[in-house]
Amino acid sequence: MISVRDLRKHYQVHKRPPGLKAALRSVIHRTYTTVKAVDGISFEIKPGERVGFLGPNGAGKTTTLKVLSGLLHPSSGEVWVDGHVPRHREDAFLKKIMLVMGQKQQLLWDLPPAETFELNRAIYDVPRAQYKQTLDELVSLLELEELIGKPARQLSLGERMKCELAAALIHRPKLLFLDEPTIGLDVSMQATMRTFIKSYNERHGATLILTSHYMDDVAALCPRVIVIDKGQLSYDGGLDALVQRVRPEKRVVLRLNRPVDADSLAPLGKVVTHDNVTAVLQVPQDAVNATVSRALSSLPVQDLTVENAPLEEVMSELFAESKARRGTVGA
Amino acid sequence: MLRRYLRLLGVQLRASSLLAMQYRGDFVIEGIISLFWTATALAPLFVVYRERQSIAGWSFGEALLVIGWFTLLQGILEGAINPSLTGVVEHIRKGTLDFVLLKPADAQFLVSTTRFLPWRSINALAGIGLFVYGFHLIGRPPSLLGVLTSLVLLGTSVLLLYSLWILTVSAAFYVVRVDNLTYFFTSIFDAARWPASVFRGVLAFVFTFVIPLAVMTTFPAQAMLDRLPWMSLVWAVVGSLGFALLSRRVWLLSIGRYTSASS
Amino acid sequence: MSLRSTLRALPTLLRVGFSEAVAYRAEMFVWVLSTTMPLIMMALWTAVAREAPVGQYGSQDFVRYFLAAFVVRQLTGAWAAWMINYEVRQGTLAMRLLRPISPLWGYAAENIGAMPMRLFVVVPVASFAVYTVGWQAVPQTAWGWAFLLVSIFGGWLITFLANVAIGTLSLYMESSTKLMDVWLALFFVCSGYLYPVELFPPVLRTVMDWLPFRYQIGLPVELMTNAHGFEVALGLLGRQWLWVGLMLLISLGLWKRGLKRFAAFGG
Repeated sequence: MISVRDLRKHYQVHKRPPGLKAALRSVIHRTYTTVKAVDGISFEIKPGERVGFLGPNGAGKTTTLKVLSGLLHPSSGEVWVDGHVPRHREDAFLKKIMLVMGQKQQLLWDLPPAETFELNRAIYDVPRAQYKQTLDELVSLLELEELIGKPARQLSLGERMKCELAAALIHRPKLLFLDEPTIGLDVSMQATMRTFIKSYNERHGATLILTSHYMDDVAALCPRVIVIDKGQLSYDGGLDALVQRVRPEKRVVLRLNRPVDADSLAPLGKVVTHDNVTAVLQVPQDAVNATVSRALSSLPVQDLTVENAPLEEVMSELFAESKARRGTVGA
Repeated sequence: MLRRYLRLLGVQLRASSLLAMQYRGDFVIEGIISLFWTATALAPLFVVYRERQSIAGWSFGEALLVIGWFTLLQGILEGAINPSLTGVVEHIRKGTLDFVLLKPADAQFLVSTTRFLPWRSINALAGIGLFVYGFHLIGRPPSLLGVLTSLVLLGTSVLLLYSLWILTVSAAFYVVRVDNLTYFFTSIFDAARWPASVFRGVLAFVFTFVIPLAVMTTFPAQAMLDRLPWMSLVWAVVGSLGFALLSRRVWLLSIGRYTSASS
Repeated sequence: MSLRSTLRALPTLLRVGFSEAVAYRAEMFVWVLSTTMPLIMMALWTAVAREAPVGQYGSQDFVRYFLAAFVVRQLTGAWAAWMINYEVRQGTLAMRLLRPISPLWGYAAENIGAMPMRLFVVVPVASFAVYTVGWQAVPQTAWGWAFLLVSIFGGWLITFLANVAIGTLSLYMESSTKLMDVWLALFFVCSGYLYPVELFPPVLRTVMDWLPFRYQIGLPVELMTNAHGFEVALGLLGRQWLWVGLMLLISLGLWKRGLKRFAAFGG
């Protein structure tokens, strides 16, 4: 479905120095710096896959999405999307894809969403019968009935995002790019969006690429993740395996019958949190068994579970690492 | 109280000047654009006076004085009044006016002093240039009394202009999309470049009492020519104070509506 | 997108443009109020013509001329430059580019879709003109009407394409709206909006004949008020459409180059 080989996207940025004199000089002699937004990325995505792009701000995720959707021309490298070269922007290609951006809207601001749906039907040349069927399905799945008659500006952010998503799916894209689709939404609305996106993928076999700051989105939707950092691909594979790699330690969560003091916990492993009757320990993977049996024998344990480190923490550690590396490169 | 507000004004002016110093390149561009605008404002005048020596009792040189006042006031409008009040319109649209209302000072004062564009004052220079040329054509200098009266009228004109703007901005609380309110205001103000006696009937009434453009440019020009009846001067002062009070009332009403309506 | 499917999508585009115009009716009203300049100029010029006619224009002729100028301005208005500029700043141009239809069709449909709303202003004003100055206020012949419609469409096209060209420049530079101000200033002075082009000194008039501005307002107004015979009118119409063609080349050229730049730098 998607094949990307050695994709690079470099910008020439004109450095404008402060001050009038310097500004005048820069008219004649301009100084440029090259920003390497994407610097040699390769991957393949099969039809129907759900892939999450992870990376800190400015890592090149959105740039990659824009290249894949034909909005940006790559500086070099080869990009194929379902037999098309995106930058040629053929109609057949544009009718297969859609990009949903959480921070940019396509809904007509002062008109009801129904008008945007109708507009997209005409623009994407969707047959009436199919349009009606798709719309009915979207309206019932996303519970839009009440919303599509009101001007978009009167909708709440969550309601608007649901309509935004519906507008993007009128032409049943085979390939859906989602750039921070749940940004700013409350937890239950995030969950609604996730469930819907997943079911769209399952029902229509659409391929899905997602970037998000909410790890829950990625965990719930994407069996496969691609980590982009400083414009380079630093990981491509399953989410669990990534967690294993970044944080090989497991967490042992203890619920106790009565409070114990910190000294009795310390020998078991690194104490992450400890209050009154619950304690969380961090231990290397191969020491999990030993720790568990020692805890059971030495402490008044009521309940015990072994978990992976929370995703958010894994990610912030991953990105902090890369930031530290970047710091040394910059110095 | 007054000292506090003067100090606040000083702070805001300083910030705007610092900002303006950063964009010194704009000085040249603004200068060119302002000259260009003055030239286009003169074009219809040339066309009209190609046909006649005097129109509605105004010779070419005298009409130049009216355009001079128009240009001067335009400079004040664009440099000191427009920028901050366009900011209010933006605040209302983005819903960030609440931040302004939270501050412990008068909201109208705060919003009208947020931003100044000092480079736009070049327009005022162009206006003064027109005065000089106008009097050169008339062939005599203005009297001292005339200049003094016209300076008083400068005050009333600025007050009128500001009050009109406050009224326009108050409309922004009621209209959905307000981008073109500024455009509307400047295009209505355009009519002030002609001597008021040109207009008759409905327009004369509108431009004297509803949108007092006549008072803003024609009165000071008449004062410079020692032609302004004393009663008109009194009317201008009383009228502009009345207008200021009216606009203040309307502003308070609109703000009240805004604070009670926003959720 | 192929021409056929574009044409198929066009009615919906226009209908949605119309719905938008209905939603923005208050704004349109404000805009109409800000285009009352011809009425002010009418007051001015009738005052000038009170004693004796100016050129061939008497008081009545000025009334006719400026009422027509008001009507033509309503029907040839375009605001795509501000739209494009805004969407480039906000980055929402990207959303338009994702669609399999050129954004220019969208902008055009939004502008034309507003025309029916404008008729609510235009028809009463035109009727008033006929009521006060008689049938002389509208074309007297069938070809006159045909030429008027063609010239209004041509005038709109020049305005719209100039908007596209200047709006596209916001992809290259930061102050394209300032450029729009300069264009507008030239438009006011040279288009016949403030005075009939005929009243200009001959040399300047020749210059204006070669500039695009007078074909935006002046020509349709002259055709509406029966100022020209068949042959002169046809010649002027020919020049207008030459300008339409030229503006088409310029604006499409700038647009294509601008998009390439947009694709290289991103929004």
